[in-house]
Amino acid sequence: MANFTLDVNNQSLKVDVEPDTPLLWVLRDELELKGTKFGCGKALCGACTVHFNGNAVRSCSLPVSAATKGKITTIEGLSSDGSHPLQQAWVELDVPQCGYCQVGQIMSAAALLQRKKNPTDDDINSAMSGNLCRCGTYVRIREAIKLAAKKGGKS
Amino acid sequence: MINFDPLKQEENTEVQLSRRDFVKLSSLASLGLFVGANLVTGKIAKGNALLADSFGPSVFISIPKEGKITIMAKNPEIGQGVKTSLPQIIAEELEVRWDQIQVEQAPLDRRYGAQFAGGSTAVKTNYTTLRQAGAAAREMLIEAAARKWNVALNKCFAKEGVVYQRDTQLKFTYHELAETASQLELRENPTLKEPKNFTLIGKSIGGVDNQKIASGQVEFGLDARPKGILVASVERCPVFGGKIKSIDDSAALKIAGVEKVIKIEPTPDPTRLVAGVAVIAKNTWTAMKGRRALKIEWELPEGEAETDETLRSQFEKNINSNGEVLRNDGDVDTAWPNCKKIHEAVYEAPFLAHAPMEPMNYIADVRADGADLWGPTQVPGSAMGLAAAITGLTPDKIKVRMTRVGGGFGRRLMADYACEAIYLSKELGKPVQVVWTREDDMQHDFYRPSGMFKMKAGLDGENKLAAWHIKATTTSRYAFRGSSDPSYKTEVFPDGFPAGFVPNFKMEYLPVASKVPRGAWRAPGHNITAWLDQSFIDEMAHLAGKDPIAFRLALLGEEDKEMPYEDHGGPFYKTSRLKNVIKLATEKSNWSTPAPKGVFRGFAAHFMFGAYVAEVVSISMKDATTIKLENVVAVCDCGTVINRSGAINQIQGGIIDGLSATLNGAIHIENGKAKEGNFDGYKLMRINEAPTIEVHLVDSTENPEGLGEMSLPTVSAALCNAIFAATGKRVRKLPVNLTEETKL
Repeated sequence: MANFTLDVNNQSLKVDVEPDTPLLWVLRDELELKGTKFGCGKALCGACTVHFNGNAVRSCSLPVSAATKGKITTIEGLSSDGSHPLQQAWVELDVPQCGYCQVGQIMSAAALLQRKKNPTDDDINSAMSGNLCRCGTYVRIREAIKLAAKKGGKS
Repeated sequence: MINFDPLKQEENTEVQLSRRDFVKLSSLASLGLFVGANLVTGKIAKGNALLADSFGPSVFISIPKEGKITIMAKNPEIGQGVKTSLPQIIAEELEVRWDQIQVEQAPLDRRYGAQFAGGSTAVKTNYTTLRQAGAAAREMLIEAAARKWNVALNKCFAKEGVVYQRDTQLKFTYHELAETASQLELRENPTLKEPKNFTLIGKSIGGVDNQKIASGQVEFGLDARPKGILVASVERCPVFGGKIKSIDDSAALKIAGVEKVIKIEPTPDPTRLVAGVAVIAKNTWTAMKGRRALKIEWELPEGEAETDETLRSQFEKNINSNGEVLRNDGDVDTAWPNCKKIHEAVYEAPFLAHAPMEPMNYIADVRADGADLWGPTQVPGSAMGLAAAITGLTPDKIKVRMTRVGGGFGRRLMADYACEAIYLSKELGKPVQVVWTREDDMQHDFYRPSGMFKMKAGLDGENKLAAWHIKATTTSRYAFRGSSDPSYKTEVFPDGFPAGFVPNFKMEYLPVASKVPRGAWRAPGHNITAWLDQSFIDEMAHLAGKDPIAFRLALLGEEDKEMPYEDHGGPFYKTSRLKNVIKLATEKSNWSTPAPKGVFRGFAAHFMFGAYVAEVVSISMKDATTIKLENVVAVCDCGTVINRSGAINQIQGGIIDGLSATLNGAIHIENGKAKEGNFDGYKLMRINEAPTIEVHLVDSTENPEGLGEMSLPTVSAALCNAIFAATGKRVRKLPVNLTEETKL
């Protein structure tokens, strides 16, 4: 066991865990930030996507020991009240089915919109193809990203 | 110790079922046959209010003196949208605006009737009872107002949560009437609204949890573990049907945070417990690490290890043997010599994994005096019945709460993972959450049965279908679970089109035994038969030199018929509705206009579970063997639509799922185990591969049907028929593999 200090959603938080613990399980089991989901454990599905220094990363494959030197943003920190343009677009277009992957989708899309204010279909394809949706809500995810971009999708 | 929500604390003295009743109930529920008990009875009316001072005319509705009206969502929400659509039905008849209500997930409680997610049945089987529940409450509120005003009932009417007195300015809100209405007898036979007066049914209403989902606040099973509860990670015998020979847990127990190692013996019924060793730890990562430190020697099942090849050789033997004859119209054997053209082909479909995004998990707290269970399941009743069987507790001592479910697709009709949690909690004497990894999920699934199908058909001198012979052999899922039902059930459908339209028609079936677990996978059976029938019809249309759609319409005939259909969705289907979706799809896809250069189209149509679907898939070819999906046009007749947005979402999702499985889905068996373990080997469609999808819902006043499964089966054939149009190659073995030598 070892102590780590993490910068999560602009808060400095201390945890005492094994150094190889993936950030995902630190967030979920230690910090009770359960918006970030476990899907595959191998960075293949994107359900666990968070921002690390503004980039979308898979928290299931990032050991806590490698996560101390950067700013971590989870869905709980994307907005305090679900008011991020992407979150609003997701609700407006009724995107979710089961809903399990959608946090990861929104976090990947938020990182995209920070880089590209008006993403093309190709931009969306390359930024979002790491996020699986088993329910197949891709048509609406694409629409929602475009809608959020139109409304000024910055966090 | 555990802080449950208040719903669970509710006195539930009416639940006095014996364990036998529950086993019966849960097994019926998992088959999709159980129809709800009478939900609207006087007995239910009292004592069900969520809050002490509210009007609770039935278990579904609670109207407090102030604040939002609560409507209970009775069934598990697995992404099919019933947490929104079922309350929508109640709200319609209750006569309230959607923003006046809030929805809560009901616990398992027999007063709600059957509570499960399977067979796309929730909307169709609950439609009338939920309307009655809403209408009964509305009539009682009107009666309460009439009493307060001392006027006749017909002087009063309800609108948007308010009762008005006609020709006056007088009104009472539902809140103001709650107390008086609580003293009234429940209305047993309320008058339902005229569909033309619907204000909510048929409208688009966003999912009730959308805001919470988008902000990560919604509770799935994995999120529902209270802090401090232990986690179990289970190493199961990778070879299906194996047992434990020896365990060395010394290294695992040395890991800080690992509390205990528990051996799980397999039950004779492989749908309950398989051989495994559970590592119990204080958190998820430690449990997984402890599990990796186990040294286990397995005792493998006797006989040759199963592989794709051993199964295939049995399929091949079967399609060259005589099977059980399930349908025999005319006489195919004497028909062949009279056919002008005869065509034969063998089709093959693999095992598929369900792979819902939320891995299996379940929480159980088994104590001497009772048990609490919760987690993601399609069959909370089965979880309760199995808990009673495992713990010896009577069902009234077992409380089951439902979380939102991160995808089902049929996987969570099996409660094996709940059995693990129940068993481990009982052994531990403490609450525990079982958490599966993705590899656990993919390697210990109940797979879509695999199969092989010998198709033969003949055309007469006028190029009409004169004979059709299908010989099917599959790894039957009913045979796997040792059911007394026939093994062909949900593998093939003797009444499915084109049966009844070909004068000589024969269907034969032979099951193949296997230790590979099989279960229901979205649109069971249909997810193969629609592909078979609608691909082979296309082959015959091509042989006849006819347009594939015109060929189908000619087969269905001018005259409208009701075709007997003795399966789920029956007792008959109407050819008028099938022809209608076919014609609409023709029109909406501009079928009669040639496709743009480089674009190729395929068509298919299918009836299942009461709904009629026709789809046109458009593709282009990146090169000789690489397909690009362009567009799908879907036309669906599911009767009355409840939630338009939800319906369109289901249809789009089913299409993506069907295309994904057709292009990439396969679980391979090697050395008695599943080869694929994660999304690198078992590929699912990603956003960059998804086509655009246009959905057209038929305007209908027929009874509503479910929609969770119906758009999926049709799309496989439509895609394969498009591939034929593009390449001249028939896809007869799934998943699609154009690099393989494909017969013309």
